[in-house]
Amino acid sequence: MELLNLNIPTWSDLGHWIPEAVLVGAFLAGLLGDLIVRGRRPWVPFAISVIGLVTAGSYAVAAMLHADPTAHSIMGRLVVVDGLATFFRLIFIFTGLVTVLFAWTSEEIMGRWRENKGEFYVLTTLMTLAMCVMAEARDLLMLFLSMEGVGLVSYVMAGYMRSTLRSTEASLKYVVFGAVSSAIMLYGLSLLYGMTGSLTFTGIRAGLMAHQPDPFGLLIAAVLILVGMSYKIAAVPFHYWAPDVYEGAPTPVSALFSVGPKAAGFALMIRFFYTVLASGNDPATGSTLIADFNWPLLVAVMSAATMIYANLVALRQTNVKRLLAYSSISHVGYILMGFVLLTGQGLQAVLFYLLVYTFMNLGAFFFVVAVNNHLKSEELEDYVGLGFRAPWAAAMMVVFLSSLAGVPPFAGFVGKLYIFTAVMDRQWFWLVIVAGVNSVIGLYYYYKVVKAMWLTRPAEGADTSPLKLHWLQYTVLGVLTVPTLVLGVYFGQFKALADQAIRLLSTGM
Amino acid sequence: MSMTSPLGTVATGLQAHYATVFVFILVGFVFAGIALGVAKLLRPSNPSPAKQSTYECGEVPIGSSWVRFNVRFYLVALFFIVFDVEVIFLYPWAVVFKQLFPVPGMGAIVFWEMIIFLAILALGLAYVWVKGDLDWVKKLAQRTAMTPAPAAAAEEEVPAS
Repeated sequence: MELLNLNIPTWSDLGHWIPEAVLVGAFLAGLLGDLIVRGRRPWVPFAISVIGLVTAGSYAVAAMLHADPTAHSIMGRLVVVDGLATFFRLIFIFTGLVTVLFAWTSEEIMGRWRENKGEFYVLTTLMTLAMCVMAEARDLLMLFLSMEGVGLVSYVMAGYMRSTLRSTEASLKYVVFGAVSSAIMLYGLSLLYGMTGSLTFTGIRAGLMAHQPDPFGLLIAAVLILVGMSYKIAAVPFHYWAPDVYEGAPTPVSALFSVGPKAAGFALMIRFFYTVLASGNDPATGSTLIADFNWPLLVAVMSAATMIYANLVALRQTNVKRLLAYSSISHVGYILMGFVLLTGQGLQAVLFYLLVYTFMNLGAFFFVVAVNNHLKSEELEDYVGLGFRAPWAAAMMVVFLSSLAGVPPFAGFVGKLYIFTAVMDRQWFWLVIVAGVNSVIGLYYYYKVVKAMWLTRPAEGADTSPLKLHWLQYTVLGVLTVPTLVLGVYFGQFKALADQAIRLLSTGM
Repeated sequence: MSMTSPLGTVATGLQAHYATVFVFILVGFVFAGIALGVAKLLRPSNPSPAKQSTYECGEVPIGSSWVRFNVRFYLVALFFIVFDVEVIFLYPWAVVFKQLFPVPGMGAIVFWEMIIFLAILALGLAYVWVKGDLDWVKKLAQRTAMTPAPAAAAEEEVPAS
């Protein structure tokens, strides 16, 4: 029997996978720890998760700084660790870590009557792991497995407050929509496998290039797969689950959802579309489509629809959490603009935007968590006067909202600038105009929150006592504010990281 | 690639395969349609309450057919599947292990891979056990500590299936 092509990993292969291995260990240890203390001391799994995430994070940072130019295929070529994976790994581990830290202070997770508090931290660790694998998948099986991994954990986390009707509803909606979109995507994957007889991304591309596929069949397969991925990143018209789920889920979980799985979805889309349906990764000429199917135009239309729809609906929201949900959908529209350009410049802008988006969006959601602890509400009218009740946190919220709106000295502006420039370079003028108009619309609803917090006079007899925030909340918000400010003026180094990630994106093998 | 049939070459490539499937679907619909349509034309229509009731092996039907199964059945089924698949997975592993054992360095890797896999599953078993999902009859009070149940309803009964 031929065993040579079994591709069993060796210890040196696994050396590139230390962050993931650490996360697996932290997940198992956390689960075991929670069982040993019988769920009575949630600090045990909390501490294990924090230690695991910090350790994995430091290994990931080391890998990033090392900038290994070769891509390493491991686990029988199911996953690849290259520049893209190294970059996204940092975003995921950072997101997981700050979510764990902030959840510790959240009443929605740690409130007196909540059950299974410790399991929240274990699940966040598992989710971080699944997202990392999503950014590394280079095989249809692993693609599906990692997406389902993220999905299944998400369903549980959305329904975390299981005695709350809103939360269980969010979970159920998420499961139903998730199952449908997975099924649709799976159908597309099976068509693609049928056409090329290969499961690996590069094998599929080789198959498509060797004998020109049936254009109609390829169109169907690619569109079905696109549906599954757009669902994950919540792009119009597959966004309908997002506002309900974000509103119903505990706010720390919404914060994680609005950043983590979204970034993971983008990582997967970049790898899939730029490996399977486009070839070449030349910084000068960009990539070329390999088959007669213009997916960039299709995605560009989706991007415009996402921006317009999400921004218009966000105008009418009175619930801050729902408003932020629509805002995060509209940001998907901006990011998709960079994705369709088939240039390295576009992808670099996408990565940089995702980095900036991680800081500002997490910050905005965490502010909602901190306020919810005291007010038990996310309605805009209850935010009136918050600027004077919690001045420091509200000031940081202004930074996050301004950055989300794309106002100049903040990081969001630089992110938008890079994306818009990249789009202009490819002469997609209509797309830039749509995006520009939408940025202005965004300004209105972001500043509606700022206005409520600082300018609107509270009603007679309203509670104006100062809010006392946990020190951990100030720390995490501060940690998120600093990059939101710094990346607005000093972005060269971080842009270089994104550039490096795309340069080292492995499309071969 | 061309497809030859008694009628000659019909179509080429992918279309031919899809055409076959399409013809199958079409024939299926037409067949069912004809069978039902002809029966409809020929049979006398003489409904009565007894005829229109659900057929339940000659018995008078009791209750709705939309029975809710206890969620515990799914839990046990899921649990069974996990360990069933584990055992199936062990067989090919054993074959590969036997061949790779003499290769220096490989034996250890392949052995520990499987041990880790089994340990993860064992942790799952421990989880289910500690959480009390292996007990068929659960104490209601144990599950919902936040709402103290009345003493009479403390024991939750498994519905007859």
